[in-house]
This record gives sequence, C-alpha cells and structure tokens, in this order.
Amino acid sequence: MSTAQVTPMRPTCVLICALGGEGGGVLAEWLYGAAVRAGHAAQSTSVPGVAQRTGATTYYIEVWPQPASTHPGRRPVFSLNPVPGGVDLLVSSELLETARQVANGMVSADRTVVISSTARTLTTAEKMQPTDGRADTGALVAALQRHAKQAELLDLAALAQQAGTVISAVMLGAIAASGVLPFARGVYEDTIRAGGKGVEPSLRGFALAFDAVTRQREQRTAVEAALQPAPAPDLRALGRARVASYQDEAYARLYDERLDRFAAWPAVQQELARWLALWMAFDDIVRVAALKLAASRQARVRREVKAGDDEIVKLYDHFKPGVPEFAALLPERLAARLQAWDRRRVAAGRDPWALPLKVGTHTLRGALALRFVAGLKGWRRRGQRFAREQALIERWLAAVQAGAQRDPALGLELALCGRLIKGYGSTNERGQASLLHIVDVLATRDAATVRAAREAALADDAGRALDATLAAHGAPPRPPREQPVRFYRRKPVPAR
Amino acid sequence: MEVQFTEQIKQLQLGAGQAFHGEGILAITKALLQSGVAYIGGYQGAPVSHLLDVMVQAKPYVDTLGVHVEACSNEASAAAMLGASLHYPVRGCVTWKSIVGTNVAADALSNLASPGVTGGTLIVVGEDTGEGASVIQERTHAFAMKSTMALFDPRPDLPTMVNCVQHAFALSEASHMPAMLGLRIRACHVRGSFEAQDNVAPRHGTHAWIDEPAPFDYGKLAHPPVTFRHEKLKVEQRIPAAQAYIEQHGLNETFEGELADVGLIVQGGLYNALQRALQTVGLADAFGDSRVPIHVLNVVYPLAPKSIGAFAAGKRAVLVLEEGTPEFIEKDVIQALRRQDLNTAVHGKDLMPPAGEYNVETLVQGLIAFGERHLPQVDLAAAKAWLAANAERRADVPVASLPPRPPGFCVGCPERPVFSALKLAQQEVGRVHVAADIGCHALATFEPFHSGHSILGYGMSLASRAGVGPLMAQRTLAIMGDGGFWHNGLLTGVQAALFNGDDAVLMIMKNGYTSATGTQDIISTPDDEAKAEAERNAAVHQSLAHKNQTIEQTLKGMGVPWLRTVHTYEVDAMRRTVEEALTTDFAGLKVIVAEGECQLERQRRLKPFVAGRLKRGERVERVKYGVDEDVCTGDHACIRLSGCPTLTVKDNPDPLRVDPVATVIDGCVGCGLCGANAHAATLCPSFYRAEVVKNAGGWERFVARWRETVTSWLRPEVVA
Repeated sequence: MSTAQVTPMRPTCVLICALGGEGGGVLAEWLYGAAVRAGHAAQSTSVPGVAQRTGATTYYIEVWPQPASTHPGRRPVFSLNPVPGGVDLLVSSELLETARQVANGMVSADRTVVISSTARTLTTAEKMQPTDGRADTGALVAALQRHAKQAELLDLAALAQQAGTVISAVMLGAIAASGVLPFARGVYEDTIRAGGKGVEPSLRGFALAFDAVTRQREQRTAVEAALQPAPAPDLRALGRARVASYQDEAYARLYDERLDRFAAWPAVQQELARWLALWMAFDDIVRVAALKLAASRQARVRREVKAGDDEIVKLYDHFKPGVPEFAALLPERLAARLQAWDRRRVAAGRDPWALPLKVGTHTLRGALALRFVAGLKGWRRRGQRFAREQALIERWLAAVQAGAQRDPALGLELALCGRLIKGYGSTNERGQASLLHIVDVLATRDAATVRAAREAALADDAGRALDATLAAHGAPPRPPREQPVRFYRRKPVPAR
Repeated sequence: MEVQFTEQIKQLQLGAGQAFHGEGILAITKALLQSGVAYIGGYQGAPVSHLLDVMVQAKPYVDTLGVHVEACSNEASAAAMLGASLHYPVRGCVTWKSIVGTNVAADALSNLASPGVTGGTLIVVGEDTGEGASVIQERTHAFAMKSTMALFDPRPDLPTMVNCVQHAFALSEASHMPAMLGLRIRACHVRGSFEAQDNVAPRHGTHAWIDEPAPFDYGKLAHPPVTFRHEKLKVEQRIPAAQAYIEQHGLNETFEGELADVGLIVQGGLYNALQRALQTVGLADAFGDSRVPIHVLNVVYPLAPKSIGAFAAGKRAVLVLEEGTPEFIEKDVIQALRRQDLNTAVHGKDLMPPAGEYNVETLVQGLIAFGERHLPQVDLAAAKAWLAANAERRADVPVASLPPRPPGFCVGCPERPVFSALKLAQQEVGRVHVAADIGCHALATFEPFHSGHSILGYGMSLASRAGVGPLMAQRTLAIMGDGGFWHNGLLTGVQAALFNGDDAVLMIMKNGYTSATGTQDIISTPDDEAKAEAERNAAVHQSLAHKNQTIEQTLKGMGVPWLRTVHTYEVDAMRRTVEEALTTDFAGLKVIVAEGECQLERQRRLKPFVAGRLKRGERVERVKYGVDEDVCTGDHACIRLSGCPTLTVKDNPDPLRVDPVATVIDGCVGCGLCGANAHAATLCPSFYRAEVVKNAGGWERFVARWRETVTSWLRPEVVA
C-alpha cells in the first residue's frame, strides 16, 4: 500500500515519573488494564532496575486513541522509549523529577500536559549540605510552566496521605481527570476494583485527585498563592525575646547595647540582630533540657508521630554529654582541671569521656532529671562557657564594627559570618574556629574576600574548601587542630 | 523471598486461544512451557530475575508438567546445567544477566558449545545495552560468535518474542548449537499480549525419567583431539544448519517499502524505536508501514547471507542499525554482500554513533544523515526542526543544573549503619582502601558515603585486594554481601586469602538474601522454622539473620582464626570492631560478619502480622524517630552519616534561623540508626525515639496516665 500520505494518527503517550517504592509499577499496570478494558491497543514498559531503592524511575505507556475495532487487522507499533517532545501527558510524583524530564527535553509547549506534585522528596545531595542545599522550587516551577502546554501542580503526596493510600492511586485519578486518555472515569475505577487489593483506599485517593485536578483546571490560583513569600519578621524583637527567655532581662539589655553600637549601619544591624541573638542564646544542656521538657513539645511529638488519642507514646531522648558539656557549667578553674583530665585520657589512646544516655522523657525519673538540668539556668552565668562565649562575641562584634567603619559592605559580610556559629560539640567548635580565623586574617580585606571565605567555610565540614579559598586569597591557612594521631602501619609479613 | 507471584503463575497456565496479558519476561517464561522445556535454571539479575523467581514459586504447577526448576548458585553452575542436553533429547533453558553473568558462565558455555547439544538449549539473557545497566559497553554478541552459539534479538513485541523462543529450541536442535536470546531492559518489562498455546509436557522430565545413561561417546567431551573435530563441525555443519533454519522459517523479517532502492537492516530489539524514528522523519505510519524497506534481524548471529543478499540486491544503499561496538553485524553484512558481488553501499557506524543506546532521537539523526546521502526526494526539514527544538529545550534547563537522584539504601536497611561506622572509624584510623563489590552495599558508593575504590565483579572484592593489599602501608578492607560470598567470594576471596596468609580484612554483609537482585533465598537464608518461631513469639520485627550460621560455620571450617559477628545497628561496636581489625597485631585474614536481616523481607513479614493483630484488637507497638526542630541547629551532620530517605530537611520554623532543620518524615520504620549514630558520633541531642502503643492493656494505660499527670507538673509552659 502507499503510505506517501503519512497519517497524522499517532498514539497517546504518557510518561510517569516516580521514585522507587511509590507503586509506579501498579500505576502502569492499571493504565494498561484500563486500555484493555476499554478495548484499546496499548503497551507499557518501565525501567524498574534503575529505581532500585529510592532512586528516580519512569514508566511509559502508549495507548491508541481509538478502540481496536477501528483498525481491524492492524496493530500499532508502539515505542518502548518516550520521545523528546512526543509526550502527551507527563505525570510526576515529585517536582524535581518533573523538572528532570523538562531538562531531558521530553516536555513540549505544543503537546505536553503536565500534572506534577508540588511535593519535594529531597535528594541526598541537597540534604547533606551543612547549610541549605535545596534546589530552588520557584525555578523548578518556572521551568515547568515555560515548557508545558498546560501544567497542573498540586500536592499529590498530601492527597495520598489524606486518602490513606499510596501515591499511585492518586496519580491515576489525576491522569483520569486530565482527559488526555480517551477513557471514562468508570473504566479506571473498574480497573482498580479488578485489581482486588486495597480497593477502597485506592478509590478514595483516585477520587480526591480526580476532583482536585478537575477543580484546578477550572480555577488556577492555588499555585500562585502557594508561591507567595511570607512577610519579613521583626528580627530584633524576636532576638530580644529569645535572649531574655534564654537567660534574663539583664542579658536582653546587653543584647540591646550590643546592637545599638551598630545604629549607624542599619543593614549590618539588621543582620546582627539575627546572628547575635542566636549566638548569645547558645545551645547548652540547660537549654536543651528545657526544650525537651516543654509541654508544647509533648504535643508536637504526638502530632509528628501521628499518635491517635487512644495511643500511648513513650518518648526517649538520646543524649551523650561529655566533659565539655559539664565543664561549661563549672567555674573556670574547676572546668580547666576536668578538661585536663580528659585530655590525658585521650593522649593515652582512649576515647574522650562521654555518657551515652537514653532518657525516658515520659517517665518520672526522666522528667525529674531534665527538670534538674533545666533548673541550672542561673549557674550558666558562672560557668566557663558563658564567659568564653561572651569574649568571643565581643571579638566578633569588634571586628564587624571595625569592618563597617572601613566599608559597610565589609561589615555586613563579617556580620553574616555569624551563620558559622551553630551546632553542638565539635561542630560548634569548628564553626567558631572558622569564624575567628576569618575575623582575624580577613577583617582588613574587602567584602568579596570575606564572602568567599564564609561560603567556603559553610560548604564543607572538613574545612578543605575554606583552606583552599584562604590560600587563593593569599591568607594564612587555619592552624592545625590538636588531635591525637593513632598512627598504624601494617607489619611486613616475614617471608615464608 | 516473600514476594508473591500468584497472578503471574495463573498466566503461565493459560491454554490455547486464551489471551495472555503481562510483561515480556513472563511471556518468555510461558513460551518455555509451550516449547516442552524439561529443565529450567539460572541466576537472578536485572532485568531477567522474574523468569526464575516466578518459576521457583510456580513449582507446584510445573511439577505437574514434569519440569525441573532449580535456582543455581551462580551463572557457571547454571550454564553447566545445560550439560543435560548434550546427550539426551531434552530441552533446557537457563537465564542470567549479561554481560556479567555470561562472563561467569564462560567456561561451561565453551565446553557446552564445543561438542554441541542434542536437545535444544536456550539461554535467556538480560542484555543490558542502555539505562540501568552495568558494563553496558560489552555485548553478548561477542560470546555468541566466539563459542558459535545462535543469538536471538527479537522485536520487542510479545508474539514475536514467544515465537522466537519456540524457534530457538528448534534451531538449537537442528544445528546442535546452543541458542541465546537477549532482552533489553524495556523489552523485559514491556506489557502487552499474545494468544497463548497449550503448555507441553516434556518427553523426559521428573515425571518420565530417562531410563538409562547414554552410551559412552568421546565426541561429547570437550577434550582433544575431538575438539578439533568440533571446530570443523561448528563451521562446516552447525553454522550452515542454523542459517538454513533461519531462512527456511523466515526468522528474519523483511518489510517492503516504496523507496525500494534503499533499505534498513536493524537488530530486532531496535525495531520499535526505528519505527518511531521513521514516523518522526515522516517515512512511516503508526502501524509500521514504512516507505523504506526494512530487514529485521530477530537472529543477529549467525547471519543468513542469502537473505541479506536478497534484501540488498538492487538497492543503492543500506543502513545497518546496530547498537554497540565493535560493529559485528555491519562487518558481516559487508562481507556477505562482497562475497555475492553486490555493490550496495553499506552504512552503519559511519553515520551512527559508535557508543550509547540507539534511542529514537539517535536513530532520527542517523536517518537524516542517510537521507541526505540517498533520499533527496524526502523532506527532512521537520525532523531537523524537531532535533533543534529538543536541543533548545535542553539548553534552557540543563540536566547538570539539577541535583542527581541515584538509588540508595532502603529505609531501615541494615547495611547503612555499617557505612556510618566505617565513616566514623576512618576519622580515627585514617582513610582506608575499600575494595567494594556487587550488591546493595555498592549503593554506599553514592552520597553521603562515597565509599569504595574498586568493583571487580560479583564476590570479587576480597580477591581484588590481593594485589593492592601487599603494596600498601595500611590494611585494606574488602566488603562483600552474603550473595556475593556464596556466588564467588568464598572460593576466589576467602580461600585464596587463607592459603596465601594474607593480612586482609573482609566485611561480610549478612542480611540473609541476595537482596539487590530481589531478595532471593540463598543457603544462609533464615529458614521457615525460624520465621514461624518469630511469629509464635511475636518477635516478627526482629532480624532473623543470626538464625542461620552457615557462613560462620563455613569460615570456621576453613580455619578463619579472627572472626567477629556484630549486629549492624550497634554502630559504636561496629566502629570499634573495624578499628580493631584495621590495627590489630594479628596478621592473617580478619572477617567481620555484619549481621542484620534485609529490611524488605522483614517488612513483608511484619506488615501482615501487624495487620492481623490490629484486626484482632491486640497490642501493637510501632517505633518512629524524630528530630526536635527547636534543638536542631541545621548542620545536617546526621544526614551526612546516614542518608536515610526518611531523614530529610524542612524549613526552619524558627524565624531567626535560616538553615533548614532535619526532620524524620513518614515512612520511618524506627530502625534505630538515628539514635545509634547520635551516640556513636556524639552528634547532637535533637533525636528522639517514640514508641507508640495501640490497644494497650489496662495496667499500661494506668501507668501512662499516671506518668502524664505527674510529669506535667514538671514541664515549663513556654521555652524560646
């Protein structure tokens, strides 16, 4: 036969993005089943191997838009791979994976309807950064809206949770509502019923998504509203309240005095309000004990673990206080002796002293213990750490002030270095060391250098990036930290 | 394994005329039964695992046919199984993942292919040319050629695939060469339908034994001098017989087209992608009617030169579309045409990329290049515009700008804590050369662990340190799963290290299954009795890995003097054990057995158990970990030590802080790693463990109420 006139007839192509374990395979099976049920030729395929445990995966389905009875004796040849620009419907359970298909070139403005969850399942690479490594959601959404013929964005994960089902059922409902495939709602629902497993929750999830997408197609405002930034908080008021509750009113006044020194540079003062409050309210065991015992925390935990009213929650906290935590609350002389003892231990090749505790916060003994530690608030001012922290804060503030006098931009960058102070134990010490080193060797340089050093210090916790940046700017590297070296070599095996 | 294949097993039992609906690999499995296969074996691996998994579970049914099914200990033993067809007229099929499995099987394959088979033999291999593959650039084709085995590469269309299986057995019998059938990953998982035939009980099987051994026949041994005769038989008889069979039965299909002076020769597996490419260029319709003639090679080795010649005769040019390098088929085509004195221009790798998958876009590029040379009448503008639009879209959102999402350990995986401990141990004793292996534990090569210097093959880690270990000042560490240990590691690694008195450290991940391939049972899998006992004692959530001591007993029996077993969730104990192994004065082989049952299997056991208890209104306790958002300072050191999918970050609820805080989301199975890491690494006091009790008894309720009342007097109302 002549095929000089290639018909515009083509299959409807559906690409599904899911993460391993989300039931994408079941979804593909449902779609294939719905097509068979409706008498359409169809084919599905997948690459589950790649999904092996939590990775990204895709499923691909092609359906002939007319029933098989319209093309007797002829079978369409379906593709096993999605084709760039040749996808009619992209359904995705995760926003980054949706964007990945845009980056793969799959989504085209003249053909592709996109239904994507706005929910993010963060990748390890995003989560593991010492600061905020998350991809910019706004940029992902913008990329999607730029390339899709029509983009329906909604939180599919939340719908699944609401329905008490898996996300695949919700995605099926969204697909049905999109109208891209030529099947009536009942065909999908019958397919779910025929599957026989978890039918009721699946149908619930299906209906929720079906209605949500239908509604959204009629009025598209949800996404825009979700992307509006929240109003900026009054950082100084928040900071003052934090410091006052952390210690007392006198401490809050000290906060005010410290900030007032920067009245001439509002931008610097604004940033300092945040970082100074956080540093002054440094985390110690007194504060942690109070936070762990707080009444509001009990309610939050019950909410987080989704405990029903009739369920009992037993709550255990993991603590491992060591010598630094105890020394922090002791006067300088006593603390120094304790620390000297611990250093001798370590020098002898033993681990630093620490007390691994699993405290039953829900028990009377646990609550009493926490109450006792939280009650040491007054002691804090007399302890070694309080004095040391105040000295370091002053050193930092002096550098910020001197910097601001030279150039407000430099002062601002030095103020932002307050972000380096966080965490507990060695993390906290490392941050302090980095900050002080930047303050000491770079405070007289320019703003850009300080910014580069700060960003490097925040980028990796081993400090290699910071050292490299310092070297690049001709600044001396950080002094090596004292650390006992356990040097070992394999012994040569005597020749046999 | 706890996965159930009930639905698939039903499909296997369909009779003549019924419609089979399912995945490609299951269609192949059904085709085996329709072909009267007498025995089936193999070693699991993506993407063909299901063939064996389904067959193993379908034992009660296949027993009625008299078919023997066996899960082999590795691909070499699977290939050796085919020896049954050397003498006896029985059909056999084995399966594995290629190229890796074919490498392991190579010895037995050579010795099978040399004497040649009597009964038809078929090897179904997952041919991993593209995504999700390992060692993708190597081709099974080379093995088929060197050992003279037929290689099928069927169109990814269920009726064609089923037809090819049935012909493969017959071709094997007609030519006496073993046959292979390669399936790409998407073809394995393609869901479609075909009209079933009745299953055929084999002539000989477990129901109808072979009466007596065959008479002695030196010719059936791969031994000189008969091997010289085998060589002649291969080239003088078997290849021609196979070619004759292919031509006689039209296994390679020709689809005519109006542009008759050009043609395309394509591997069967690429046919559907080629059709879509032709559609894109405007040279075909959606039903496979192409304007350009196509010759589809459902059998890619040996080629049938006469059909190639018949197809190419009268054509100005053909384009050979063959994935992978070297271009075996293209060279065979050129040779076939030259021998037949045909001057048709042959294109292939001159227009197509030498490496990578031939997807639709790549094929379109090839068709454009071919069209520009030989099809001046075809308008290629639309196809070129399509390519340009694709490039434009990709430039707008570069893939590299998006964070990657490689696979990782499951939630609650017992292997993750080992790598936490290893990371901590290295902070104490310095960096270690880690010989990694195939298995779930290889996922530690990704973030946040980035662990492993080499992967030399399945079960090869300990063997692979034999070279580097003696040359290095520090001890090296080899990591191996129990799957790899039984597949190969016991002999190539442990035995060699003991024999040579090597100063080595071996970490065995004893999770009880070959988990990366789909949690298949192995000899060290906890037995049904252990599982029943756990159920009786309401201890289903516990690891049962320790219930099977085969690995430890084997190691002791072989004389491993330094052997420690550590439960993986004891991170601090594991850290200390690793440090000891790396620094002890003992200079021989040191083995650490990291014990903890595969979480997938445990969860599959636990879910129905818990559901049953809830249904009966009995006490159920679940554990979830959490992070106190006001205690967490957003450093994420815990994530760098864990990488658990349910340990993630969220916006900091504290308006003063900017860095996101850690949080534990739904899906946490309460494995305990967060707590163990917090202690082992002195992380921070943010983590809590919540034990949530449903249907508690009266006394427990009373105590809980009392505690709540009393502790509420101690709680401060608000703390900032």
